[in-house]
Amino acid sequence: MKLKLNISILLLAIIMISCKNDQKEYHNIIDKIEAKSTDYKRDSTFSNNQFEKSDLVQVTDHETQFYIENRKNRIESYECSECHDKPVSQLQTENLGKKAHWDIKINHADNKTMSCLSCHIENDMDNLHSITGETIDLNFSYQLCNQCHNKEVKDWKGGAHGKNISGWKTSRVSKLCVECHDPHKPSIEKRWPARYNSQMVDERN
Amino acid sequence: MNKEIKKWFSLNLGNKKQSNSGCSESKCDKHPLENKEDGISQVFDVNMNRRQAFKKITAGLMIGAGAVNSSCSVVSGEENKEKSQIEWEEYFKGNYKLMSDEEKDKTVNRLVRSYELRNGKKLNISSKGPEEDVLFGYAFNISKCQGYMDCVNACVEENNQDRASQMQYIRIHEMNDGKGLNFGEADDTFYHEVPAAGHFYLGTQCFHCDNPPCVEVCPVQATWKEKDGIVVIDYDWCIGCRYCMAACPYDGRRFNWSTPQIPEQEVNKNQHYLGNRLRKKGVMEKCTFCIQRSREGNNPACVDACPTGSRIFGNLLDPKSEIRWVLANKKVFRLKEDLGTEPKFWYFMD
Amino acid sequence: MKVLKNLIKDSLVYLTHGRKSYHIWMAFLTFLMLLGMYSYSLQLEQGLSVTGMNDRVSWGLYISNFTFLVGIAAAAVMLVLPAYVLKDFDFKQAVLIGEGLAVAALCMCLAFIIADMGGPARLWHLIPGIGVFNFPNSMLTWDIIVLNGYLFINISIPLYILIMRYQGKTPNPKIYIPGVMISVFWAVSIHLVTAFLYQGLQARPFWNNALLGPRFLASAFAAGPALIILVLAMIRKFTDFKIDDKTIKKIALVVTVAAQINLIMLISELFKEFYAPTHHSESAYYLFFGLHGKAKLVPWIWTAITMNVVATVILLFHKLRNNFTILYIACILLFIGIWIEKGFGLIVPGFIPGPWGKIAEYFPTMTEIGVTIGIWAMGAFIFSILARTGIAIELGKIKFKNN
Repeated sequence: MKLKLNISILLLAIIMISCKNDQKEYHNIIDKIEAKSTDYKRDSTFSNNQFEKSDLVQVTDHETQFYIENRKNRIESYECSECHDKPVSQLQTENLGKKAHWDIKINHADNKTMSCLSCHIENDMDNLHSITGETIDLNFSYQLCNQCHNKEVKDWKGGAHGKNISGWKTSRVSKLCVECHDPHKPSIEKRWPARYNSQMVDERN
Repeated sequence: MNKEIKKWFSLNLGNKKQSNSGCSESKCDKHPLENKEDGISQVFDVNMNRRQAFKKITAGLMIGAGAVNSSCSVVSGEENKEKSQIEWEEYFKGNYKLMSDEEKDKTVNRLVRSYELRNGKKLNISSKGPEEDVLFGYAFNISKCQGYMDCVNACVEENNQDRASQMQYIRIHEMNDGKGLNFGEADDTFYHEVPAAGHFYLGTQCFHCDNPPCVEVCPVQATWKEKDGIVVIDYDWCIGCRYCMAACPYDGRRFNWSTPQIPEQEVNKNQHYLGNRLRKKGVMEKCTFCIQRSREGNNPACVDACPTGSRIFGNLLDPKSEIRWVLANKKVFRLKEDLGTEPKFWYFMD
Repeated sequence: MKVLKNLIKDSLVYLTHGRKSYHIWMAFLTFLMLLGMYSYSLQLEQGLSVTGMNDRVSWGLYISNFTFLVGIAAAAVMLVLPAYVLKDFDFKQAVLIGEGLAVAALCMCLAFIIADMGGPARLWHLIPGIGVFNFPNSMLTWDIIVLNGYLFINISIPLYILIMRYQGKTPNPKIYIPGVMISVFWAVSIHLVTAFLYQGLQARPFWNNALLGPRFLASAFAAGPALIILVLAMIRKFTDFKIDDKTIKKIALVVTVAAQINLIMLISELFKEFYAPTHHSESAYYLFFGLHGKAKLVPWIWTAITMNVVATVILLFHKLRNNFTILYIACILLFIGIWIEKGFGLIVPGFIPGPWGKIAEYFPTMTEIGVTIGIWAMGAFIFSILARTGIAIELGKIKFKNN
């Protein structure tokens, strides 16, 4: 009898310690995120010196706020009006030869949708214009893309489209549309993958 | 606890161990080591420690007896002594999770010094802990991935992975259009112009689950989930049983079947103790969300390397982060959701 | 302690003398053990890359043998149970042999685990107190506790009995009966816990089913007593130890029932996998029919199943079962069949296909096979020593001389 009592006590002890140690307070990760969310302040001073604050341009709409690099500082030939002091049609008649971007071909939608003047203003090459004739600063060229590619720009503003070049901790600095998509030829070329894993192939055969 | 261990083992309990590889008989007997109770009659060698300790003793003897050597070897004798001293202490340290900050600093210094003694170069190993109010999450855009594998290259270079076995944490699967997530028919060893017609691309790696099965099954708690959500491994504590590898449903873990080989000039010298520091053979490793980068506020190497911006990383507890925007505005899914592992790696489409 | 010292001294003297066949046997085993040690040294030097394991199939021959041998160790209870609980005295002679077998099998299990580890020098990390012991979360820790506990029980109880017999005294039932009772429960638990190691992994659908634990028990209770019958046959042949025909016939009954249950469980598994195949049935397809042209294990599993079925059918018939030669053949078939089924037929297919459906086949390398053979030889060696000493004490050949 004593043996049976001992064994039952042992079994009871085993059952009691057998429960796993994890304290799962939250049923799933989404619940956990909602419970533990805080007003985390991203570093808008860029204290890691990754960017010069003065070089950044802020993009704000009612939902988001982030930065882009000052595009005008990065285009060597800006300001465009330094060369384009006359309308293009007139420049073409002057025998200037083949200077700078004489051979830009537009491979963007079709010629019913896009021509040079869809974006550029003939006598104000320093700026762009929208469908309704509003002037758009070169730094905010995404507003042009927004006219047709509204969904992509919305994603870009949220952070789901495009490239984030800052880290997760500082305020977000995104690349502008035109930094990946050449507006005259926006599609991205095919290429070969960066590596081939021969070891994995060997394992499989 | 660490100090007590050191004292106990330095008492040299005087138990003999048989060797079955490498050392000559007589010299080995001289050296007492801890007797491991493992219940079998077969005993085995503790390779590195024994040879180094043996060298230490010989070096000491040689110096003491004033052996005929050039002056350099007296200095290298000192170096060998220091090397074996470091290895001795490294062998007997405890689990990183239980170390105090002071012990963490000590082990980091030992590792840095050990590398310097071997290769003459300086490493930078961090033992930075998790930040408050941070929980890392990751999102992958399967419409944008084009199969370039730039992420794989960046990961391998950043994390000092074994070149000989071509270890890579990230797998890029070339999936078939119309077949959904049929991984069985996908190809992850493709090598042709990408993106190929009729396919889409999807990358997998360790998903840093919030309910990680690998953490449950480790018999020595060598792997655990940090406060900021990263599942890490203490490489020196891992005993190499590979139970975690059997438990991972996502092929997240890699094992060092042999000693990892990395060309010295390719070694990434900015390291974290729990991240990309150099590993040894017989231990597990895996993606750590580039802990050496993410704890400094940067993105993991794969996120930075991706030219199409398919990879999104951020703090899940920050309602204004991109990852939270994706979760709120995109149709996201995770892989093998029914297993209850709660991975912190979501997939979405444009 | 003088008794223990004398026991060891006398045993050593006894063990180093014997017939020529005995010496040849021990020499052969020693040679195999040295082969194993050499292979293991290669593995220690270069790491586990000398084996055939890879990131997809990360457990192979070593863990297969480990799983199988835990079953053999558990089967010793099949002798203990009738002898002490059912008070069937025919079994009493075989109990010591069975427990010796359990000790040898457990030693082999521990050796396989250590051979499989990537960092055996870091084993001390498991010791609670100075290391970290992840109990009760990790099933491996449960396994360590139950296996070592079982080893302890199986060493201490027979040791007690033998020391008493050695001194010519009768062992006190009050001391060993409780231990024996515990060992009965414990034996079932060692194999159940080992099964739970695999059963608890939601990542491996081939193992993650409710039948794995009971299936392990059934196959263990078929293969273990089968081995015991073979061992008893050899003991009858080579020593003076008296073992009744009745004992062997009763053990054969145990094997028969367990083999039938094993077959029923196999049918149940086959039905589940192939009646309405899902994505989770891919491992079973790979094992039984090959998948995408990869079919390395198909001949193995069908051989194993054939052996099991043939052996089970043979054992069904009184006439065949009571004919000892045929019985031994059936036991050999069953033993090898279950070894294949539990090893290659369970562990390896659990990993194939991998988590993303990729198939990387596994086959052991020569080094792996060398270590395995060495460890089996070590087990046979340990068992020979224990059995020989135990039988000698029982027969009174070794007596304690109190000078």
